[in-house]
Amino acid sequence: MNEDWTPIALSRDVPAGVTRAVRLDDRELVVWRGDGAAHVWEDRCPHRGMRLSLGFVRNNALNCLYHGWEYGAAASCVRIPAHPDLTVPPSIKANAFPAVEAGGLVWVGRHDAGTRPEPPEAVTPILSLGVDIDSLDAPRLDLDLPGGTLHLYWHRVTAGRIMLHAVSQGDVDPIHAAARVRHLRDELEQQVAA
Amino acid sequence: MSLTKDKAAIDQWYVLGATQDFPIGQTVATWLLGGDVTVTRQADGFEVTGEGRRLPIRTHYNHLWTSFGTPARDVFALPEAEEPDRRWLYCGGVRVAASGLRLIENFLDLAHFPYVHTDILGSEEKPEVAKYDVEQRRDVDEIWATKCEFLQPKAAAASEGGQISQYMYRVVSPFNVMLYKTPPTAPNRWDVIALFVQPVDETHAIAHPFMLVIDPSSTDAEIIAFQQMIFLQDKIVLENQRPVQLPLQPGRETPTRADLSSVLYRRWLKEKALTFGTEPRTDQVSDFA
Amino acid sequence: MPKLYDYVLSGSCYKVRLLAALLGVKYATQTVDFYPGREHKSPQMLALNPLGQLPVFEDDGLLLRDAQAILCHLANRYDPTGNWLPRDQRFGQVMMWLGFAGGELMAISAARMVLMLGYPGDVETLRAKGRMAMRVIEDHLADRQLAGAIWTVGDTPTIADIALFPYVMLSHDAGIGHEDYPAINLWQRRVRRLPGFVGMPGIPDYF
Repeated sequence: MNEDWTPIALSRDVPAGVTRAVRLDDRELVVWRGDGAAHVWEDRCPHRGMRLSLGFVRNNALNCLYHGWEYGAAASCVRIPAHPDLTVPPSIKANAFPAVEAGGLVWVGRHDAGTRPEPPEAVTPILSLGVDIDSLDAPRLDLDLPGGTLHLYWHRVTAGRIMLHAVSQGDVDPIHAAARVRHLRDELEQQVAA
Repeated sequence: MSLTKDKAAIDQWYVLGATQDFPIGQTVATWLLGGDVTVTRQADGFEVTGEGRRLPIRTHYNHLWTSFGTPARDVFALPEAEEPDRRWLYCGGVRVAASGLRLIENFLDLAHFPYVHTDILGSEEKPEVAKYDVEQRRDVDEIWATKCEFLQPKAAAASEGGQISQYMYRVVSPFNVMLYKTPPTAPNRWDVIALFVQPVDETHAIAHPFMLVIDPSSTDAEIIAFQQMIFLQDKIVLENQRPVQLPLQPGRETPTRADLSSVLYRRWLKEKALTFGTEPRTDQVSDFA
Repeated sequence: MPKLYDYVLSGSCYKVRLLAALLGVKYATQTVDFYPGREHKSPQMLALNPLGQLPVFEDDGLLLRDAQAILCHLANRYDPTGNWLPRDQRFGQVMMWLGFAGGELMAISAARMVLMLGYPGDVETLRAKGRMAMRVIEDHLADRQLAGAIWTVGDTPTIADIALFPYVMLSHDAGIGHEDYPAINLWQRRVRRLPGFVGMPGIPDYF
């Protein structure tokens, strides 16, 4: 498995026009999509530090909720509403991380990240959910289901909590798969509690 | 939690609440600057203790003020409090998970009106913040912003329709600010809306909004609800600014010309060497080896 | 004209304000000084609602308390389509979510009152209950989305969605963010796009 890249969301859960706040090892990130690929940025507007995940997507740009500062897909600020005639200096930009979409997932990379992740591509997204445990033994768990396989990826949110990201391969009933993931969640949490 | 050692923060007056918040015959526990404070109210007055000693008290403007230190000045002057036709409204303490300094800066800010107070204090069609004046009045040690103006769809509880609101801002101490704005029914006077901030610790504060307004028609409940609505709209911003503590280090944030009052406010805080509620700096050489 | 005894910061009052706006129902508002005035506990308000709570709704001689009951009344009386409170097998499901919205989910309201207004209460316990309630909603909405649906019950919005929406959105006041709830994230955006939607302080107008 590729340790430079961490899966943090299902692509399906960040459709066009949507922002999603994600916490990765206590770092606040925003995942958002305009017209094209999903972006992963530090969840912080450089103006007054407002979390960009509470902002709004318009015209392939992410706008900060506080003062409406507009950031284009390349992370540069392109408009400051309080100063409509100002050409925004190129130094004002959001902090963007390397991001790729593969295997139905959005992955965030370290700044020196090398080869992209290459997970199975012929998959159906199932769900992401939080589990109150600190980690799993491997970057991916595979579970057999009638008709196919469930792949469970995960990232650590904070100490004692992870998010599982489940995709399926084969002819798997998605509702049944979701129930299987919840069953696993309950088992894992009860093990911790025991 | 323990009381801060930041002298600049200690030597100030702070509000613990409106006097009406403290029922006679009861003792209330609260916090200030990381220290525990106890307020007891009897029929003949207040007793405030903290850190095992009696603390000084003031009751200006029907609020209870105290200090852990020795402020250089008494509580600020407010001539509008003498005007007999003003309505006095106490909006109650609201707790916010933010540095009290962020609350003051947000109160000074105009550029957020169209986005945070949409179709009330501003609208997206007119987001421009026109140039305004700022000054540091060294005789009274206050920061003032004047000649501020904004087109407002609903400027106050009593408003029926839009107006161009004139604003002035006045920061009387690091954690106390007020604004003066045009009342909808008396365009040649000023409404006073104050925010007295009680810093609980470096990342939590209790906001005490207070109003001295000209409004012959609204009920108290309506005026209070309007101000609470505005404050609750700001709360989601205040609690989601990062870092939580106010950064004073150059380069951490990016002010523009619309942010002139906050730039002067931060410079003033640095002049006072105030550190409580601010992000620790990495760009300064320590005085201690 | 019906009358709502209202407080702007109350999520429960907002349930009524929201459905009334979506249904196009005109009503008079009496603003109650809930905080700091505690007017909802005054003798005049207790005469209207002996539980000393908001909202209270008056309509043509009818006096109702309990936001969920008022939602049922508004849908029953003012919705000619019958979709907001359907009478077929969806009826039981809607009732189930109404009970939950006025029950388990209210742990978020209680935590919010402690954290925001200093009410007495054990924040950690309330927040844990609030997270459990959010998880129940998230699990349900995730299954709905897997089935190609978005609304809590059926294929059109119902009062179940309206009853759940305010305190789900105000969970940040209880110290519960939405990072763990991707299905809720997508559902709340659809709720906000409903024609006639109105927000409340704490639920930003832009999204």
